[in-house]
Amino acid sequence: MKLNLRNWKTAAVLVVISAAVAMFATGAFASSHAKVVKVAIMTDCKGAFAFGYDVDIGGAQTAFAQFAHGVTKSHAKPSAGMTGIHVGTTPIKIVGYGCGNDTVPLAVTETKRLMEKLNADVMIGPLSGDEAVYVANYAKAHPTKVFINGTAGSQDPTMQIAPKNQFRYHGDGAQWNAGIGELAYKKLGWRKAAIIMDDYSFGWTSAAGMIADFCAVGGQITKRVFPPLNTTDYAPFIRQLPPPNQVDGYFWVVGGTGTAAALKAYEQAYGKLDPKKNIGNLFFGFLGADKVVAPKVVGAYVGGFGNNPGVHYPKVDAYRAYAKKMYPAQNVDDGFFYNYYMAAKALTIGLAKSGGAVGAKLDAALPRSIDGPFQISNGGQVTLDSRRQAIQDQYQLQLVKQPNGSIAPVVVAYVPAVDQSFGGLFKPTSPPPGRTQPPCKKVKTPWQGKIKVVTNGKVTNQILK
Amino acid sequence: MNPSTWTLRQQVERGIAAVALVIVIIWPAAGWSSYWSHTILLETFIFGMAAASLVFLSAYGGMVSLAQTALFGMAGIIFGNLATKGGPGGTSKGLHLGWDPTVALIGAIVLTTMLGLIGGAVAARSAGIYFLMITLTYSVIAVYTLGQVTKISGFSGIGGINNYTPGWIGDVLAHPNRLYYVALGVTLFAYVVIRYIVRTPFGIALQGVRDEPIRAASLGFNVPLHRTLAFGFGAFLAALAGVLYAWFAGQVSPGDVDLPQTINLLIMAVIGGLVRIEGAWVGAFVFFLMQNYITSSTHVPLIGFGGTIFGGSFNTLIGIIFLAIVVVSPDGLMGLWGRLFNTRRRPKGGERTAAPATEPAN
Amino acid sequence: MWVALGCIVFAFVFVLFVATIPGAEGQTSWRTTTFGSAVHDPSSFLKIVLDSLSFAAALFIVASGFALIFGLMRVVNMAHGAFYLLAGYIAYEVQQGMTGQGFSLQSSEVNTWEWLVPLLVAAPCIAVVGYVMQQAFLRWNQGQELRQALITIAVSVIVADQIIAHFPRNVGAGTQKFGGNAVDLTWPGWTDRFVDLHVGGVQYSLAKFVMIGIGIAVGVGLWLWLYKTKTGMVIRAGVDDEQMTSALGINIQKTFAIAFVVGCMLAALGAVVWASQSNISSGQDGQWLLNSLVVVIVGGMGSIFGAAAGAILFAFVANFGASYLPTTGSDCCTQYSSILTFVLIALVLAFRPRGLFGRGG
Repeated sequence: MKLNLRNWKTAAVLVVISAAVAMFATGAFASSHAKVVKVAIMTDCKGAFAFGYDVDIGGAQTAFAQFAHGVTKSHAKPSAGMTGIHVGTTPIKIVGYGCGNDTVPLAVTETKRLMEKLNADVMIGPLSGDEAVYVANYAKAHPTKVFINGTAGSQDPTMQIAPKNQFRYHGDGAQWNAGIGELAYKKLGWRKAAIIMDDYSFGWTSAAGMIADFCAVGGQITKRVFPPLNTTDYAPFIRQLPPPNQVDGYFWVVGGTGTAAALKAYEQAYGKLDPKKNIGNLFFGFLGADKVVAPKVVGAYVGGFGNNPGVHYPKVDAYRAYAKKMYPAQNVDDGFFYNYYMAAKALTIGLAKSGGAVGAKLDAALPRSIDGPFQISNGGQVTLDSRRQAIQDQYQLQLVKQPNGSIAPVVVAYVPAVDQSFGGLFKPTSPPPGRTQPPCKKVKTPWQGKIKVVTNGKVTNQILK
Repeated sequence: MNPSTWTLRQQVERGIAAVALVIVIIWPAAGWSSYWSHTILLETFIFGMAAASLVFLSAYGGMVSLAQTALFGMAGIIFGNLATKGGPGGTSKGLHLGWDPTVALIGAIVLTTMLGLIGGAVAARSAGIYFLMITLTYSVIAVYTLGQVTKISGFSGIGGINNYTPGWIGDVLAHPNRLYYVALGVTLFAYVVIRYIVRTPFGIALQGVRDEPIRAASLGFNVPLHRTLAFGFGAFLAALAGVLYAWFAGQVSPGDVDLPQTINLLIMAVIGGLVRIEGAWVGAFVFFLMQNYITSSTHVPLIGFGGTIFGGSFNTLIGIIFLAIVVVSPDGLMGLWGRLFNTRRRPKGGERTAAPATEPAN
Repeated sequence: MWVALGCIVFAFVFVLFVATIPGAEGQTSWRTTTFGSAVHDPSSFLKIVLDSLSFAAALFIVASGFALIFGLMRVVNMAHGAFYLLAGYIAYEVQQGMTGQGFSLQSSEVNTWEWLVPLLVAAPCIAVVGYVMQQAFLRWNQGQELRQALITIAVSVIVADQIIAHFPRNVGAGTQKFGGNAVDLTWPGWTDRFVDLHVGGVQYSLAKFVMIGIGIAVGVGLWLWLYKTKTGMVIRAGVDDEQMTSALGINIQKTFAIAFVVGCMLAALGAVVWASQSNISSGQDGQWLLNSLVVVIVGGMGSIFGAAAGAILFAFVANFGASYLPTTGSDCCTQYSSILTFVLIALVLAFRPRGLFGRGG
């Protein structure tokens, strides 16, 4: 081989590449063992829910600080990390933050990275519904690891898949909307409504809650429209909706990046949005929507998120005060924050009971009943059903203009003890929520006729009529 | 195969390949990092095969196809639909035909190959940039079909496929190394088959069609037929990879076949080099190495990119490397390697055909 | 050929006369669609026609840039979508900077100047980026179409990732910065009304008419430029026969650069228009690249008239497919229109690769 300058250059390049490979490869041959409980927090940092990243991590780490002596590295940026977490004599180490983008392939990569490369024992997460379906299947295949759901709202993980090592301490997307249908029927007088939803599992699940609740009281859903997630042009789908003179109202279950675009398309077709004829799910009130979307629909009712903004009781206010002190920049009433907080809190309780053991011992030790700041019924305890799914109080909201000019969701109705099956309507053998599931049926949900009115941040004894 | 007749380059390459093969075979037995064997190496085998289908079509057929990812995903979805069962404890989406996994495996491969043949027949008369665009269209069709037709897939796709492996693989959890060895075996099989095919009369004719289609046609070769069959063979390779991926990941969804994934496969193939089959696995290995060690939160020193959680690291880096390779060495890493051993100057200049020139197969 | 014609005629007849609306009890048949036939419900029909035209206008603006670049230089500019996205975010930052609120604005808060200035800032930015890319990476490998496509793919990956890392910046307190979240621009306040068309009681949004107007203006402007100016003449000559044109001593490189820059600026204009109409978010770069590709493939590469025809066809199929494809049965709402569109694209590419109205050698 001729040793000329050209060959030396290419040889140098190849040597550099090989050295880099070797550097990475040495990591492959090393192994590390320690008596530490390794926790991974799985959330999104790209795609439709990119803003969930610091919110979720902040929520989980607040619980670690409150119940496990954690010390945060930065009060401004939760993802900077946390040290010193221990339960009893067992140290807990956060080995990594997962960064998904709401689609499955990245969930696969990140889950494997967290659970296999970084060898986490426990995962807190994921954030979104479709990722959770994957993680549930993964959990089934890896029974020695423990999975505590973050804030994913799809129904499948705890209804149809339901692995024994997966726990969800908050309601699913359908539960979050329990009561909104009854609110529409009784307070707004809706009898016929149309619904527009994102064409993916969270859209279907959230819509299923609205449909089931509205139809249970006697309402009729006359049309269902499904724009694909992140559609470019919402105009054709708005046209598919019945015009305002043919229905009493519209349910909106469009989220991700599409909420404002879809509402804009509606305004251009039919004029200004009437808050009495439009109800949205949590995407109307949270995740920055209070700035982007809310100005268009001030006064509209909004489906809940398992949390109760604007409600003031001692334990709620205590939670808020503590969390605000930890991470002042975060919205601690946001379900994204709160659900991860509850997940981490449950983990600390479980580890205390199991004495630091993980795996099946931790599965047995994780609490089946946990005190939740936002929970009122059942002595303030959120309980898990037989499929490790929470039975949780829900709060339905309304967008209200605040004295300082901003618009925020405020609780107007309290729905006690909502379970995932909606009183038997959703079963493990029934098909998961989809485009035509559930059908519109008049049934009696356990909370029908028991919804209490909330005024000025206090739950009254007045039943919603 | 007389070692004394090999050139220096061939000796070095075959030596390295032999050592690598030995390392890879004894890896699980030696007890080295199981994350590497079950993720990085396994992904290299699987995606390397898919990239190899791309490289085969490009190097020997003169056709750069962006449809390989789509075929890869379709194979996984078809298998998911054929093999999974519904009902309690089963997967929640798909047709739930519940066939025996081995039969479903054959069904998925056959159906995907047929799709490839149909697609190839439609695209056979186009060349160069038009062929690229048709295959891109196929990829988009796959995304919409998988995303919209909820009977067979839907946005979250079909999950739990890792429970439906044939008996000779068994429970992926109880015997994780079996999937590793099966993937390794299939990869070697794919490599050997490709090397064999290019020496057959079909393969030689294909290369003739690649270089001089008009002359080949005037000599009586059926150019569209050759291209169609080549595309079908590419689909076959992609299908093998697709089913293995379905077992590895357990879930196949439209997110596996969308534009960023298609571009990733192209990047793997180009980094390795669109000229040589070995480049497919080299490129896949480099890609997954980087992807696993440069996450979104990695600060990349000296370059100034990276560091925000949301972007500016892995994709930017891989994009820069991709750009550098296409500009500087269009034959990728294998081309750089080849130049090391070059005893005469390579003429600089443009492409002769849709694919860069190849050296005689060795 | 006859089969295709027959299908088109049937589609026309179906939409115009045959479709019906669901019965009182929700019964459906193979003829049932959301609106019923045009004869039965002309105002809905008119609205959907206008929807299609307004979407077509946006498509045309973006795709004409792509068509110009491809027709003249045979470069498939896969970074067209990334430039679109960058322009949209830059325009958003400028508009927020001028109105200073950091979240979605009501139309009443935006006047015409506050809509134009973002455009006037974003377009030259993209022009510069495009010019740099063209001079640095595309000038020296003319003729190597595949290599150029790969280079533009690489640039699109880098630009898209950097956009996610640095935009949006100007967001409200408590909202996450960066991450390529969805933000939107706002039309000026005077567009926020309805125009009474005096036909069937139809009221249509003025903003959409403005969009159609901009699209027409772009079309007329491009036509004037290409057919009435010397540069345009050179471009058309270059589209037809590049070698001859440069053999005649014309500085073809300068013309390439001008055409490339104009193409990128059209992408920027399209981004500002569509971001005002809908929103801008990461992931749209891929969508709009594919949209441009579809329009240009169907209509023809290098032909402005073809780009217009392709945009209209694509928009009509998308809108009419969503509204007039039968909605029977439990599989009611699969958007087969998207799948159909792309199958048509593949067939066009295979059998008429120049597109329906394409020109160029």
